[in-house]
Amino acid sequence: MMTKQIHLWAFLQGIGFYPTGWKHPRARPEGVFSMDYYRSVAKLVEKGRFDAIVFGDQLQSRGAGGRTPERMAMPTLDPVSLLTAMSAVTEHVGLVATISTTYNTPEMLAERFAAMERITGGRSGWNIVTSAHPDTAPNFGEAELPPKDTRYSHAAEVVDKACELWAAMDRAGPRLPQGRPVLVQAGQSPAGRDFAARTAEAIFCPAASIEAGIDFRNDLRSRIAGLGRNPDGTRIMPGLSCVLGGSEEEAKANHKAIMDLADVALAIEYLSESLCCDLTPFDPEAPLPVAAIIANTLLPKSDVERMVASAAEKGTSLRDYAMNFMLHPRGHNVFIGTPEQMADMMISWRDAGACDGFTLQPSYMPGGLEDFVGEVVPILQKKGRYRTEYPGNSLRETLGLPAFARADA
Amino acid sequence: MTRPFILSAAIADPQLAVPATAAAWLDAAEAAGLDLLHFGEAGARPFDAQVLVAWAAPLTKRVGLVACVPASNAHPFHVARALSAVDFLCSGRTAWSVVPEGASEGMAEDMIGAARALWDGWGSDTLILDKTGGRYLDAAKVKASNYEGPFFKVAGPVNAMRPLVGQPLLVTYEAAPLAITDADIALVASPQKAAGATKTLLKITFETPLEEIAQHFAEGVIDGVHLSLTDPLAELPALAQRFAALVAANPGGAGNLRERLGLPLPATASNQPDGAKIPEIA
Ligand SMILES: Cc1cc2nc3c(=O)[nH]c(=O)nc-3n(C[C@H](O)[C@H](O)[C@H](O)COP(=O)(O)O)c2cc1C
Repeated sequence: MMTKQIHLWAFLQGIGFYPTGWKHPRARPEGVFSMDYYRSVAKLVEKGRFDAIVFGDQLQSRGAGGRTPERMAMPTLDPVSLLTAMSAVTEHVGLVATISTTYNTPEMLAERFAAMERITGGRSGWNIVTSAHPDTAPNFGEAELPPKDTRYSHAAEVVDKACELWAAMDRAGPRLPQGRPVLVQAGQSPAGRDFAARTAEAIFCPAASIEAGIDFRNDLRSRIAGLGRNPDGTRIMPGLSCVLGGSEEEAKANHKAIMDLADVALAIEYLSESLCCDLTPFDPEAPLPVAAIIANTLLPKSDVERMVASAAEKGTSLRDYAMNFMLHPRGHNVFIGTPEQMADMMISWRDAGACDGFTLQPSYMPGGLEDFVGEVVPILQKKGRYRTEYPGNSLRETLGLPAFARADA
Repeated sequence: MTRPFILSAAIADPQLAVPATAAAWLDAAEAAGLDLLHFGEAGARPFDAQVLVAWAAPLTKRVGLVACVPASNAHPFHVARALSAVDFLCSGRTAWSVVPEGASEGMAEDMIGAARALWDGWGSDTLILDKTGGRYLDAAKVKASNYEGPFFKVAGPVNAMRPLVGQPLLVTYEAAPLAITDADIALVASPQKAAGATKTLLKITFETPLEEIAQHFAEGVIDGVHLSLTDPLAELPALAQRFAALVAANPGGAGNLRERLGLPLPATASNQPDGAKIPEIA
């Protein structure tokens, strides 16, 4: 029996996984505004034989109504533009763009992806999101984000309509090489998981531990099978960040160096963004201002109450809460250790059925990606668990998915 | 600076979305010394030009990339973000046009107003990138756009540095008129200086007499010519050859499209005279 192969995606939005990442000596925050940076990064990802490059996306303006964070580097350039430009300087790597179904019409996004699919020669993917940030609505003339259930039911209609449009565009020519982009989703709630089970050919998710990964993958696979789809037709790709070192001690020291780049002001800005509530006016040494947070947050209050419950009980200071919060961005697994240990960990997750592969989130860019491609990829390849060449040209082939069945074929 | 003679052409063939064909056409456009390549134009828009200009960005060095955007099937927030990213990817060679076909009256103008307001959200010197001091940007130089027009209401701004060209160059078509008085470039069918644009390009065919074109240019009536291509690989070299004498005095090199074509940065509160700056990191 062939050993289970590992799939890898590179999540490259921003300047790395850690809010402090942009300040690292090997980070290039100026690079995200230049083609040279995207050219070298795209070639590096392709050298590392990744399936795809993924860019997340957010449509809210930072600080539209209130205070713009000054210490966080969160440039959100249009992912379709960045990925399409990267496709022009590569041959194989897939390009997965995040586009919201809430703030694009099916006609708009179908036209965008048709162009992207054609000009990339069949390497496009769509990370289908519904936009979750309440500040998004005012950029589209609306006061409020629709509730989640409404967003997901609308998303299903948008996807169906877009698929119809692609079928017509494909027939009209030039052909869409894959028939349509590969459909990717990232949702956590039951509604999100059902939507993924119905739609997705690949899923991007957080999984902080191997157990969480196994639970998530089993749950999704049974939802997919329950809908009569083949669970092997969907790749499950939890996020994974890492800090490497020649020894465990060195890796820990490298991790500490990233953490030491944090200052309290940055940590409080990051927490403010995450809780959708400006905490910069509060005394960092005083207990986390829980009542003010609940009163002012733009997120669903019950979600935020759950997040801050234990800090409220213990009276944790704003400083300590914010500094600790920054250690675990977005709930993804973070590996700290040697390249050999990392490869073993990845193989153990794959063998345990915790994932089909990983969405690598370099801790800072491009240094974190250089380390992974230079040090971990060759080990996975030597162990026979990771490709040394691409199997074909389209993203579907790279993902090992069956060809898309055209209705008119 | 001598006034450049601007060479402009449009491709509206669906094959521009097919990489092998597109690559050959882009090479031909560069070899011809074309100043502006329009991806689609009024009445002929068989692809999403915003995507194709991103692809063209790393494959070209000099030609200005004009994305033809439909007012009927786009939103200014998305357009502003897409073209601001493209402008960085091509080092300041982005232009756009908005075609009103199929859209309500006034929607194209509204899209232009909204996108311009979004581009003006960040000042030319908003980025700081001070790793040691920990300041990424100067929040005092970020402004909400709060644009409100008849169709689009957009809070803004876009979360990224303003485009290198300040705002992408706006191209208008006499054939698809807009109520815009401050476009950068207008394409006209008869030799007459356009009222609503800084530069006027005459739409020509290979039959248009060269002496007449040269005279209109010398008299300042037009600033160059525009041709709609049907066979780019044959027509682009022919275009270059036909206008070789007129473009001979143009400033050479690549560089920011506004500078090269003699088009000033839009004077807005957030636009500094020497344009957007990305700080260098030692
Ligand atoms: C790993 C992960 C990545 C996501 N990335 C984005 C993103 O880039 N942009 C976005 O608007 N939403 C993103 N989302 C949000 C989801 O699309 C979804 O709207 C949100 O998670 C709320 O739905 P849920 O409760 O089902 O998860 C992401 C979600 C997850 C779990």
